[in-house]
Amino acid sequence: MERTELFSKMQQAVIDGEAEQVESLARQALEQGIEPLEAINQGLIPGITEVGRRFERKEYFLPELMMAAEAMKKGMAVLERAIAERGIKREALATIVMGTVKGDIHDIGKSIVATLLSAHGFDVVDLGVDVPVEKFLESVLAHNAQVLGMSALLPTTMPYMRRVIEALEERGLREKVKVVVGGAPVTPAYAKQIGADGYGDDAVAAVRVVRELLGIKEQAQ
Amino acid sequence: MPRRGIRGGLLKFIREDDLDQIRFAIVEVLAEVGVLMDYRPALELLADHGARVDWSTSVVKIPEHLLEKALATAPSRFTLYGKTPEYDVKVDLERVYTIGGSCALSVLDLDGNHRPATRQDLIDLTRLLEEMPNLDIMHQIVVPSDVPELGYELINFATCYSISKRNYYSQAQSAESVRDQIKMAAVFQGSEEEVKRRPTFTEVVCMVSPLKHEKQNSEVLMESARHGIPLYIEVDALCGATTPAPIAGTLVEQGANVLAGVVLAQLVNPGVPCIFSIASGIMDMANGAYSGAAPETCLIHAGTAQVAHMFGLPYQGGTGIDAKLPDAQAGYERALQVLTNILAGTNFVHLSYGMMEQMLLASYEQVLIDEEIIGAAFRIARGFEVNDYTLSVDLLARVGPLGGHFLTQKETREFYRKDRWQPTLTNRDTWDAWQAAGGKDMRQAANERARAILAEEKPWAVTPEQAAEIERIAQEGVRKAQQRR
Repeated sequence: MERTELFSKMQQAVIDGEAEQVESLARQALEQGIEPLEAINQGLIPGITEVGRRFERKEYFLPELMMAAEAMKKGMAVLERAIAERGIKREALATIVMGTVKGDIHDIGKSIVATLLSAHGFDVVDLGVDVPVEKFLESVLAHNAQVLGMSALLPTTMPYMRRVIEALEERGLREKVKVVVGGAPVTPAYAKQIGADGYGDDAVAAVRVVRELLGIKEQAQ
Repeated sequence: MPRRGIRGGLLKFIREDDLDQIRFAIVEVLAEVGVLMDYRPALELLADHGARVDWSTSVVKIPEHLLEKALATAPSRFTLYGKTPEYDVKVDLERVYTIGGSCALSVLDLDGNHRPATRQDLIDLTRLLEEMPNLDIMHQIVVPSDVPELGYELINFATCYSISKRNYYSQAQSAESVRDQIKMAAVFQGSEEEVKRRPTFTEVVCMVSPLKHEKQNSEVLMESARHGIPLYIEVDALCGATTPAPIAGTLVEQGANVLAGVVLAQLVNPGVPCIFSIASGIMDMANGAYSGAAPETCLIHAGTAQVAHMFGLPYQGGTGIDAKLPDAQAGYERALQVLTNILAGTNFVHLSYGMMEQMLLASYEQVLIDEEIIGAAFRIARGFEVNDYTLSVDLLARVGPLGGHFLTQKETREFYRKDRWQPTLTNRDTWDAWQAAGGKDMRQAANERARAILAEEKPWAVTPEQAAEIERIAQEGVRKAQQRR
């Protein structure tokens, strides 16, 4: 298959959320001797970028967005393995530690954001739900994370996010990480008030905010 | 593919044995009280078939056997034809459709002005209505102030019929007007024979309560029936004033009044489609006004569905709302009214787009808002299915209890697109996201959408040459109508 044809098939398979197809096209690219990084940049990334655009235009909704992200991850796994085998280390865009704060067991919103971030080339360390201050701090240190993401669905658990930020300050870690918050009751004003660096209204916005905070341009991957 | 509406009828207020009592009462009123028919050819025809006519008062009493004979020939299923097959409407006793209209004298325009309606408003509002996906039947939404009173319906016919591909809900002031309308439809359909075989328009006749058929009504009804033009036989009861205050009593008056018209139509032309129709409302005892949106009016409209269907006739209900602006009152009134009618199985939900202020006012913005409300109401009426696929036990087993979710399951993507209603004007964002997008309320969003639709010139349903010929026939008809007076 022509390279351009293969890349456009990869894009389409991501757009369609066809995980198995993306996986097999990624393998085919390697068999044809295409550089894995090129396959990521020209096959997968334009696909997921288009999906993001459709989501914002309200042509695609969460199921399409999530299936595309899953398909993207499948393709990335194949291609990143090949990169590793060549002894090259592909730098992830950044490492993001994230979780739903202590006292709150709501998972789905945070998981959607995590899936989408990792589909866009970030290393995501998902700590799950009901995450205490200590676990956030340990994980930021252990993974040398550039971004800390926190989620809360309940107005009663939302103030815990401030506690985490205060603890970061106490340990002298605040300057090391960008803090991004989200969740149904969280507003941009609240995010500012508690001293967070960013706020995302939905998963696509979260990706955009993280990129902006880290100074990563959309096509720079 | 013709239009096939969703099925209503989940909501029933009348018990089966109470329904029998309503039937007996209607039969008794028809046979023993009678209906005034101010038109000699109608009385003669009914007398010939065994009705008892008092020639001094023009009151006709219709025996049960004559009613039964008429009901045996009046169809429960038929097609109302559009100009193209995808606008054909398949009518039965369960499917629900919508009709626009009707006859407002003023408009609330897109600049917020309240002013008399003009022919340009009729054109613009009809173009707007034509773009509403949930609209099935087109009707004149305004009576323009700048056209002659006598024969205005011919000008409105020429306008709406030429713009819209949908079956046109017309009305007529005389038998000549019916014939002129057949001529106008023949310009598009090729011949009058074709119009009679597949009529692309229908006629409404509006009877007076209590129990009165004016000369003009009977004349138009008989002329339409003769040519096979389907009829909405309508009564506009004012519950508490022109019909008894109890809803049951109003159902009895409406039944006797409408069925007298059905009997007459079936005697003229057995098999001509007759739609049991109402635009009734309660009288507000505080100001004497007609209230189309009162909860009691909703009950009348839902109850009448059961009565009409008991007689095997498709049913038109629904009416205007009372609000003056596209505001919170307009939203709640329209939502309750439309939902009640759809759930009750009203086969034609009438006056369901843009009609306000006791049917005096048509609002451009409300047309768009009503499309949204109707879309949501149809979604509720569609309900949900329970079967092995939707019970999703295998899917639940696949995802399991260990922290998964359903967003990335193929079944979810397959199902939600078909199942979910997708709002267009409704905003479900948070305050901040909504503010960021301009912070527009629903009325502003509707205003922008209406302007966008009207800015796009689309071809009319007939060619410019056909439209010119239809207009010529209409103007000629108006001239004749003026001379006859």
